[in-house]
Amino acid sequence: MSKVQEPLREKYRSMTPSQFFYEHRELAGFGSPSRALYQTIRELVENALDATDVYGIMPRIVIVVEKLEERQDFYRITVEDNGIGINPKYVPQAFGQVLFSSKYKLRQARGRFGLGAKMAILYGQIKTGKPVEVYTSPIGFTKIYYYKLKIDIERNKPIILSYAEHDNKTLWHGTRISVVIEGDWSRARSRVYEYIKRTAIATPYADIVFIDPEGNMITYWHSIEKLPRPPKEVKPHPHGVDIEQLKRLIRDVKAKTLIEFLVSAFQGVGKRTAEAFLKWAGLNPSLDPHRLNDSLLGELARKLREYPKFRPPSAESLSPFGPEIIEAGLRAILHPEFVVAVSRRPKAYEGHPFIIEVGIAYGGEIPLSNEPILLRYANKIPLLYDEKSDVAWKVIDPRSFNWKDYMVVFPAPVAVLTHIASTKVPYKGVGKESVADVPEIEHELRNALREAARKLRLYLLQKKREEEAKRRVITFVKYTPEVAKGLATILGDIDEKTVQEMLLSAMKRRLRLDDEEFAKLVQGLEVSIEE
Amino acid sequence: MSIEEYIDKADIEARKRALQVFRERFREILEQIKRGENPTIMLPKRTLANTIYDERRKLLLLGPEKLSRSFFDLHESKKFMQTLLMARIIYEALERNEYPTIRDLYYRGKHTIIYREPGGRKHEENTWDEQRESDSVIRDIEVFTGLLREEMLILSKEKGKVVGNMRIRSGGDVIDLSKMGHGAYAIEPTPDLIEFVDVDAEYVLVVEKDAVFQQLHRIGFWRKHKAILITSAGQPDRATRRFVRRLNEELGLPVYILTDADPYGWYIYSVFKIGSITLSYESERLATPNARFIGVSMTDIFGYKRKKPYLTEQERRNYIIKAKDADIKRAYELRNYKWFQTKKWKIEIDIFLERKAKLEIEALTSKGLRFLADKYLPEKIETGDWIE
Repeated sequence: MSKVQEPLREKYRSMTPSQFFYEHRELAGFGSPSRALYQTIRELVENALDATDVYGIMPRIVIVVEKLEERQDFYRITVEDNGIGINPKYVPQAFGQVLFSSKYKLRQARGRFGLGAKMAILYGQIKTGKPVEVYTSPIGFTKIYYYKLKIDIERNKPIILSYAEHDNKTLWHGTRISVVIEGDWSRARSRVYEYIKRTAIATPYADIVFIDPEGNMITYWHSIEKLPRPPKEVKPHPHGVDIEQLKRLIRDVKAKTLIEFLVSAFQGVGKRTAEAFLKWAGLNPSLDPHRLNDSLLGELARKLREYPKFRPPSAESLSPFGPEIIEAGLRAILHPEFVVAVSRRPKAYEGHPFIIEVGIAYGGEIPLSNEPILLRYANKIPLLYDEKSDVAWKVIDPRSFNWKDYMVVFPAPVAVLTHIASTKVPYKGVGKESVADVPEIEHELRNALREAARKLRLYLLQKKREEEAKRRVITFVKYTPEVAKGLATILGDIDEKTVQEMLLSAMKRRLRLDDEEFAKLVQGLEVSIEE
Repeated sequence: MSIEEYIDKADIEARKRALQVFRERFREILEQIKRGENPTIMLPKRTLANTIYDERRKLLLLGPEKLSRSFFDLHESKKFMQTLLMARIIYEALERNEYPTIRDLYYRGKHTIIYREPGGRKHEENTWDEQRESDSVIRDIEVFTGLLREEMLILSKEKGKVVGNMRIRSGGDVIDLSKMGHGAYAIEPTPDLIEFVDVDAEYVLVVEKDAVFQQLHRIGFWRKHKAILITSAGQPDRATRRFVRRLNEELGLPVYILTDADPYGWYIYSVFKIGSITLSYESERLATPNARFIGVSMTDIFGYKRKKPYLTEQERRNYIIKAKDADIKRAYELRNYKWFQTKKWKIEIDIFLERKAKLEIEALTSKGLRFLADKYLPEKIETGDWIE
């Protein structure tokens, strides 16, 4: 969460979180009907993916946007997944109470704290008065549960309007959620399509079906069977902790002394490290963490951030795409002639581990453009807005990156995919649409781009050589008949065909081509002479 | 009677020789291919930079620089193909007893190569597009085989004419060049096939201008002064040059050349005498190093030291033409050529640049045809007033 929130949160302390977030809906991406439509789809799709691939399930996701009869600008958005489902006990809180979430632990996930989906519900409810409807069945449950819910905004509590249980004979598992919101399809259309396309690029292992309000259906079937490595949950790293987090950790971790607390709450901190740290910080190891006042907590948080000898943060909590998935995704959607992807080794900024990945797609059906087409992802979410203020643009911008060194001369058919996987992506705002210029991230992006671009260069170089060889062969072969006929006529004792064959074998020798390579180059080449 | 019986023996011999040379030269190319090498034609470079003035022999010759034209070289491949194509057409014409012109050769070799690239795009390409291209290939074949086009029985337009007390044999006929009426014998494109039967003349006079040639012919200049009278009608073609060369070399006749008094006239003289830059490879056979520039010279117009001018003050005012910028520019170019750096030529060029004046031969016929025929020319030849 960004820093601007701290003073705001102080000021609105008396409001419930529901009220607070509704007041600031534009920060969460619900500022206008068209933006809200796009944002709602996005939040629901991302939750659906988080319920599937993270748990090793190949996602099958159906997205339906319908126009309601009663009002021109009311849309029902339904997203169904085949994920792990939600335990029926928690459904009312999961959808009817802001700040309740299963995602409070530290691992990379698309959404955080489940806020986005609840914003969509909240926004829909206030604008249309319509409740949210949820069908869900966790894996192995014999029933499908149905809820119709509203949020009591004043008290931040769910109101159950209707509940039902159905037999689950097919052992279906997953979640299907429908919300009604005020939207503007005609303005949101291109963004929504772009979002779904980019999601499909990032999830080539998923089946995605989208039906729009005009009844058009578009499908992206999976092109590979491989899922990305699921992230593991890890304890926080001491460098990345603030006072609020510290308070929550003290509340959740059962520890009687400061040293015990440090060892059990943080990753990479054993007894010896904890002792050394406390000595360095001048804190008594036997203090009861529950009794620390705010100023001591502040001191502890600051020292934790500053201590230089903690082990670097673990990257196990991260789930990069991996080059195979990036390449498959780019290939399946953009139909390029060449793709390459690299995953960098984990690095960290301010105690947050991150992995940078870059893919490049070149040629094929990619249109010529004066600058690279940029496809940004953060924790597997496509980012569509504010491209030019993103650190990724800064890195790939032809004004700062010398594409010519890699044989790419604009206008060129080139698309670049960038992915930042991190337990904390440094977004520029709550809208989560662009990533801030963090030096460590910028540096890694640049290295990843260079690494990928080097491979593109090798490919282009090879291609150029082949084209030159082909051009040579075509030139020589097309002139061969006249040369052979000339020699055969003048010399008289040798026939044209023999001279042609001799010329071709001298040609192969000259171009250092074996029969197979030569045959490949001239395949389909026909020459005739009109006298 | 078969058509062969009409054909001259000299002609048949020439064909046999040319065919033989072709087979020998192109056999080398086939051997290269057999050895799996890059087939390569080695040619002397035909550029100004590779044109050398041989001061001892007083000839413009090709220098030692060679260019190799290889088939498996992307930039030379087409030229190589064109060379083989042209060689074949010439070879076939030689075999079939034909006499193609360079234009015929251009048309015969203009083929369309149609090829479909892997991937389906269809292309069409002509073996050559303009005659300029095929003419250049003919010159390449001349230097590659060492045979001039005349020796390959390739014809070009006849331009030069001759009259005089002389009999020649051409294509089996004996022709008396003193019995041409008001006309003249057109010098054939293959002057090497001409046999000199007998001659009664003391010198050869070559006139640049056809009109002046006709005037001198009609008043019987050649009969009275025992001259062979020739015109090149402007820039001399190869046949005229070769014919003049043979008259000088084989019959020992001195050759005098009469042109306009301007840098273009001077250059015509130098082409007769030492060869041309574009065709320097033929100089050894075409140039006449002993040819003399009889006039019209600048000193004839303006006088020089003790020499009196042939024109009066009044005549100069009437006949002199003001030199144009192009003339001046050309004069400066000529001054840079080694073969114009003799004492007498320096005087000519300096007077021209100083006076910026030029004069046509016709000025002398205007003064009086008899003056040109009976005074100017005999007097200059008698007193040795020429430039060499």
